[in-house]
Formats: sequence, structure tokens, C-alpha cells
Amino acid sequence: MGSPQLPNHLRSHRKRLALSQEDVAYLLGSESGAKVCRYECFIREPGLRCILAFEAIFQKPARDLFPGLYSGIERDVASRATKLLSRIEGWTASRHVEHKRKALNGIAALQAKDLS
Amino acid sequence: MNRIRPRNSRVLAIAPSSKGFGFAVLDGQVLVDWGVRSVVKGDKNAQCVSKVEKLILRYMPHVMVLQHYGTRDTRRSGRIRDLGGQLIVLARDHKIKAASISRERIYRAFSVERRATKHTIAEILAKRFPEELTHRLPPKRRPWMSEDYRMAIFDATALALSYMYCQRTIKTSQVWSNENQPL
Repeated sequence: MGSPQLPNHLRSHRKRLALSQEDVAYLLGSESGAKVCRYECFIREPGLRCILAFEAIFQKPARDLFPGLYSGIERDVASRATKLLSRIEGWTASRHVEHKRKALNGIAALQAKDLS
Repeated sequence: MNRIRPRNSRVLAIAPSSKGFGFAVLDGQVLVDWGVRSVVKGDKNAQCVSKVEKLILRYMPHVMVLQHYGTRDTRRSGRIRDLGGQLIVLARDHKIKAASISRERIYRAFSVERRATKHTIAEILAKRFPEELTHRLPPKRRPWMSEDYRMAIFDATALALSYMYCQRTIKTSQVWSNENQPL
């Protein structure tokens, strides 16, 4: 049954600071702790403003707060970069194309790094 | 989601008490969640099982760890021993491995003497997880005091760490110190 990675570690970071869900909700500018509970129970994914607010509250980068979510997105982006690379394979070589290829190779390598 | 992780890396440990249970969720060496769940009068075991099931559904652990009550000298009540059996059935229903750890194994994992108290182990754990557990460490129990409800958190965390030690997922030094923690 076990899943590889949890979508977020919000609950552990909140508990480390001895904050209640109501405290965090207040800091996020929302009315009740129910919203925070839904994020912590992986029922809902927070929006960009909330993610940035969580970064500010817990003083940790978003990729540490949302490891499962981040690795899923990273993998998707890397696989799209691989596809994009194959699409530009036939293009005539120029400095611009070479620069683009290098950037896409770097993004596609994230997947390999993640697996190692 | 395809990060390669060691098998049985997410552990849910349950430490039942007379008022409910303490739990700890270890993901690798990161303490992801910890706390106590209390139950009210009535069918305490059914309430505990329902609350443990919620934790299983939320964290989807690879293993559920309980204390081993099978030894002849165990002093746990009949209800707690029944609860242990019910939790093993629950784990089986959710296709989770259930493991039981004896007190001796806990002492071995923490390299403490057989005479060591729960408080000694709790202090080690508070040092091991300073941000998470230091502010939950109860005062040392005096002979006339009953056990603090927070001690169940430390019992559960000790079970989880001891299980990982028994599985050779972590070394003795990692039971004591939080070096090389991913977070």
C-alpha cells in the first residue's frame, strides 16, 4: 500500500513551531483552520499565494515543504523537456539552438538525478 | 514520485495507553507526524481502530509497528492486548506489514541498560528530534504521579526508531543523533 513520497510536510513543520492550525490560518489570512487541515490531510493543494505564505511562515523553500508535489512536477517537466529536445533534433545548428539544447538537456537531466 | 527509496521507509508506530494511543510516523529518518489520540468511555478499542485507520489512509505507511505483548511477563491489560490483535488485522486489511518490537529490542536499539526508564529513552529521543519533541517532553514522573499522556508519543517514536534499527535501515549512531537527516 505504501506510497513513495508524501505530497507535503506542512503538519510536521507546523508542529515543530508549536503552532495550531488556527494560528497558521490566521498567518495565511484565512478565517478558520479548516483550510490548513485540508492542506495537511492532502485533500487540497494550496495556491501560489498560500505556498509563498507557507515559505514565509516556516522559513523553508517550497520544495522542502511540498516534496511529493515538487518531485511529481519535476518529473513531468523533465519528461516534457526530453520530448522538446527530440523535437529540435533536426534543427540546423546555430548558437541560439545550441544554447536552447544545453538548457533543455539540463532540465531533462533532473529526471535522471531524481532516479539516482 | 519515482524517487528510489529504501523498502519499508515509512513507518507508523502505535503505542496504546489507557486513554487512547500515541503515534509517530517516520518517513526515512524524518519524523513526519507525532501525537496522541484520546478516546472516550465506551468501546475504546473500536475508537482507537477507527482513528488508526484514518492515520493509515492519510500516510499510507509501509509498516505498522506495535509493542510485542506476547511475552509471558507482559503487564499490559487484556484490552490493550486485544487492541494489538485488532490493529494487526487492520494492517492486514490495508495490505500493510505489521511488526512487533519487544522492550528488549528497544533497549538494544538505544544501547541502554535493561534498568533504564522510559524517561531516559524519552530524553534521548528529545535530543534526537530536538525541534519536534523537546517541547513535548513531560517532567520526570515521581512515584506518586501517574504517567503523563505525552509519554505515549515517545513510546511510539522509540518503537519506530527501534524497528528501523532492527531492519538495519539505520545505525546505532543514527538512533542517537540526527546527523545526515534529509530535512
